[in-house]
Amino acid sequence: MKPAPFRYAAPDSLAAALDLLAGGNARPLAGGQSLIPMLNLRLVRPGLLVDLNPLEELAGIELREDGALCIGAMTRQAHLLASAVAAAGWPLLCQALSNVGHAATRNRGTVGGSAAHADPAAQLPVALTALDARFHVRSIAGERMLPAADFFRGRGVAGLAPGDLLVAVEVPPTPRGTAAAFVEHAKTHGGFPTAGVAVLHAPARHSAIALLGAGPAPVRATAAEHALSGGASVDEVASLAAAVVGDDHRRAVIGALARRALEGVTT
Amino acid sequence: MRISVTINGTSFSDEVEPRTLLSDFIRHQAGLTGTHVGCEHGACGACTIQLDGQPVRSCLMLAVQASGRSLRTVEDLAGPNGRLSALQQAFTDHHALQCGFCTAGFLMSADALLRDRAGTHLTEAEVRRELAGNLCRCTGYEGIVAAVLSVADPPLAAE
Amino acid sequence: MTASGTIGVGLTRREDARILRGETRYLDDIVRPGMLHAAFVRSPHAAATIAALRVPVGVEGLVAVLSSADLGGLARFPVTEPPGSQIEAAEAHPVLADGEVRYAGQPVAMVLAASRALAEDAAERVDVEYEVHEPILSPRESEHVMMRWSARRGDVDAAFAEAAHIVSGSYALARLIAAPMETRGVVAEHDPELDMLTLWCSAQDIHRPLAQLAHILRRPPESLRLIVPDVGGAFGSKGVIAPEVAAVAAGTLAVGAPVKWTEDRLENLIGAYQGRGMEADLELALDARGRMLALRARLRADLGGYLLTTTPIPPHTAGTLLPGCYDIPAADVQVLGTRTNKVPTGPYRGAGRPDAAYMIESLVDAAARALDVDRVALRRRNLIRGFPHRTATGLDYDSGDFERCLDRALDLLGPVAPAEPGEVRGQGVALYVERSGGAWESAEIRLDPDGRFRVASSANPHGQGHETTFAQIAAERLLVSPDAIELQFGDSATSPAGVGTFGSRSVAQAGSAVAMAADALVACGRDRAAQVLGVQTDRITHAASGFSASTGTVSWDSLAKSTSLGPLRAEARFQSANVFSSGAHGATVSIDRRTGALRVDRLVAVDDAGIVINPLLVHGQVIGGTVQALGECLTEEAVYDEAGRPGARSFLDYSLLTAADVPPITTAEVATPTPLNPLGAKGAGEGGAVGALPAIANAVADALGGVVVTPPFTAEKLWRALQEQSLRARGGEGSS
Repeated sequence: MKPAPFRYAAPDSLAAALDLLAGGNARPLAGGQSLIPMLNLRLVRPGLLVDLNPLEELAGIELREDGALCIGAMTRQAHLLASAVAAAGWPLLCQALSNVGHAATRNRGTVGGSAAHADPAAQLPVALTALDARFHVRSIAGERMLPAADFFRGRGVAGLAPGDLLVAVEVPPTPRGTAAAFVEHAKTHGGFPTAGVAVLHAPARHSAIALLGAGPAPVRATAAEHALSGGASVDEVASLAAAVVGDDHRRAVIGALARRALEGVTT
Repeated sequence: MRISVTINGTSFSDEVEPRTLLSDFIRHQAGLTGTHVGCEHGACGACTIQLDGQPVRSCLMLAVQASGRSLRTVEDLAGPNGRLSALQQAFTDHHALQCGFCTAGFLMSADALLRDRAGTHLTEAEVRRELAGNLCRCTGYEGIVAAVLSVADPPLAAE
Repeated sequence: MTASGTIGVGLTRREDARILRGETRYLDDIVRPGMLHAAFVRSPHAAATIAALRVPVGVEGLVAVLSSADLGGLARFPVTEPPGSQIEAAEAHPVLADGEVRYAGQPVAMVLAASRALAEDAAERVDVEYEVHEPILSPRESEHVMMRWSARRGDVDAAFAEAAHIVSGSYALARLIAAPMETRGVVAEHDPELDMLTLWCSAQDIHRPLAQLAHILRRPPESLRLIVPDVGGAFGSKGVIAPEVAAVAAGTLAVGAPVKWTEDRLENLIGAYQGRGMEADLELALDARGRMLALRARLRADLGGYLLTTTPIPPHTAGTLLPGCYDIPAADVQVLGTRTNKVPTGPYRGAGRPDAAYMIESLVDAAARALDVDRVALRRRNLIRGFPHRTATGLDYDSGDFERCLDRALDLLGPVAPAEPGEVRGQGVALYVERSGGAWESAEIRLDPDGRFRVASSANPHGQGHETTFAQIAAERLLVSPDAIELQFGDSATSPAGVGTFGSRSVAQAGSAVAMAADALVACGRDRAAQVLGVQTDRITHAASGFSASTGTVSWDSLAKSTSLGPLRAEARFQSANVFSSGAHGATVSIDRRTGALRVDRLVAVDDAGIVINPLLVHGQVIGGTVQALGECLTEEAVYDEAGRPGARSFLDYSLLTAADVPPITTAEVATPTPLNPLGAKGAGEGGAVGALPAIANAVADALGGVVVTPPFTAEKLWRALQEQSLRARGGEGSS
């Protein structure tokens, strides 16, 4: 189980990295916690790996003046999990991250890498979807910003074209007093969950519910969100959230998780 | 490509292919075979080492990525003349190992955990969660959890 | 604890310090000069004919691509014939595919290159043309019978005709992957001058791999040397060599260079023989008072594409053990092993024992429900109480106290607490017998001039702690400190002959051989001391201080140093019939009504392994085995898609339990010594894996009001069972 051969470059600037990525058959290497297993299993075989780890400009957490949290794509998951700023304003991120892998994988795994892999069983994309995060994508052609719905497109498919690089994730502030909950169902501790629910709730001001396991990408349960904003009961909201799921058992699990998450934010 | 890393305080330099995994470099080029490879896809934790003091899976890094960094492996845990560290001694006292293949990974994870959490109370449930990234097929984990709790500082409060 | 204070003491392991310092030598740590690396071209298809195989040219680092045609003259795997069984030896596994493939992952060609990465590069470029066939995946649909066994004793038909109650049940266990943390592997090296082929092999022992290789390579055993280095677990999966090991051995001879193959995890998950994979239809006849009269069973085993050496063993073991702990006077048991297009099965921890215990213990619970009697009372009414006991399947149980195990387990389990809101709760208890011991092992012991005792044992450890346990046994007999004793294992050039490490037999057989060799050394010491002290041998007493008579004392140390008479040495071979460990396990479980998620609240394990040499290590075996059974109940299953492609290709697909997934486990022991060996010891290696499975299964069935679900008990299966149950009868919560 050894990777197929590839060339390797460790550019010293973002501009250089984007140039290399524009050259074709190239793939960025972030924390490697998803990509390197795929390389080892020869499920992917890029010609060139562009290692982003030396690019400190891509790492870091910034609280912007407009109140948004700007997370560099190369920010380690462990770093975000330990961030007091994130914990204070965006506890959902920390709740989701505490379920992501294990200490040893969070020490290497990055926020950008987790988003860009768009694994339907990954927790962070679901939390970012609930938080209405925006994804800053750069290429040699310029920069654009995608909302979560356009970024998470399907099973392992992010809104990234060849040559594109996710450079930062911007998380807007939530209204004061927003409560958050992330709950999941996994076969074993730290394994990929088969279902999960992220909920944000500030009475009468803001409601967001995102589901893991309801489709090939994170799903916003909009009908449930409206009901939650309108003061519906936990059971009602949970049923509406679960209603978006096709498979009957999965619907039952998501309903139960939604109920737990909602109880966490409404009591 | 030529890389240079510090392993257990000694600098080591060698040629590697870009695709050489750090786990293979440590084992087959640096000759430190105490680090074991259990899955090569980051799921078992047997190859866990410390990179600049933090536990990481060495099968999920390329050797080139470790250039200029400082690594610590299981061979560095014992004291002078091979005297076992308190954690290592606790592993034998609590029968925390059988076949021993996963042991190095557990030690490197637990060593970092105990360092990170020194001065805070660790509960059994926390230790179980924090060690969930390391798989053991022999022990059922009972001895491992007991060993780590026995050397936690401050000690586990009686429940 | 016995007089000398060694046996029965939970000494910490002498093996540990070396492991903890990282000073071990596992298979992949072995390097030979000029060593090549092997990778394998594997069939992506479950059933196909090989139409053509084209070898790439001009690939960097490639030394050779070897197919079955290139390794001509190799025999297929030898196949063990369990007593009374019929085996289709023609269905034996070939080393490399010989014109056809019968499972996805089967090795078709071996690539030798300068590095493993280069070998994998070249393997990708070997072009194999397949004519793909429809695979057979269900053992019930297969017409290819590879193994048959049956037992019939007593008038079964009359018993069923007279029975007041007939209870039937159908039970199945999924295929499992042993998944030791260290995968399999081999390094082979040939010395052309001596024509000696040396193999370092990650194996359970030296004897069986050596015999298998001698057969396959058609070489005299004396021309093979088998060395087993440190082994990172096996659980039954390293008792038969991998076909790849034989290919590497043959390849080494073909190219004249040492070759290494370290199995990777993907290869291990898809290519290593799997465990379980059995299903059975059972019928139990009982009289009006609940006495068991007769058992009928039709057991079908999913053997996979070929027979490996021990593939027939687990179904045979399961068939023989079906009566379990119960005194059932008549039985008609038929075992049929059929061919499917999957990797072969073979022993995995328990190897037929968990299968049998799961089936009979589930059936007994079903009977209690059908007769509306207490599950425990029904068991008590039918337990075997006298020993030796011959079962209707022909086994001779040597010893045990099944009821005491049951009582102890019930004590520890306590009453079941009421279910939490939104949950159903169940409790289960199960008994088991574990066939262990049997056949022979040997040991040699020597007192060296440095005053140290060196014991060479025929049994080989792979995590169990033989070094510590055997030193305790020898120390007890020699009346010396265990620290004075060194153990040697695992090299066919120096180790005494034996059978192997499997089936919980090491202490009973090899440990007894060590005890007898030590006794023989004491006898030699007594003779020498008599000469030195000038008295008759029978005047000598042996104590911790040495050998004494009225004229003085001669210590072991002085005997060691007086080299004029040559070193003191002794050897022994010990053979016995099987010994039977037993136990009772209990479980409490809760199931979330909304999701079907199962929580095992607690587990209780009471095991009778006879006289225990080292309780610390036996406890480790019990807990480890119990958690493997828990994994079987919660997550583990080797699945295949409709084309026969294996679904478990990583540890993300095949989830092993983590420390955070294990509930509290309470253990206790009962010790009824076996009369069949000098230690009174039985086996402890598999009991946890045997007893916890039916205990948890019975607790789940209890929670579900009697609905039987096949493990693993996934949330989806339990949720569907709850739906079904609530459709049938509202409010039928489980209780005990």
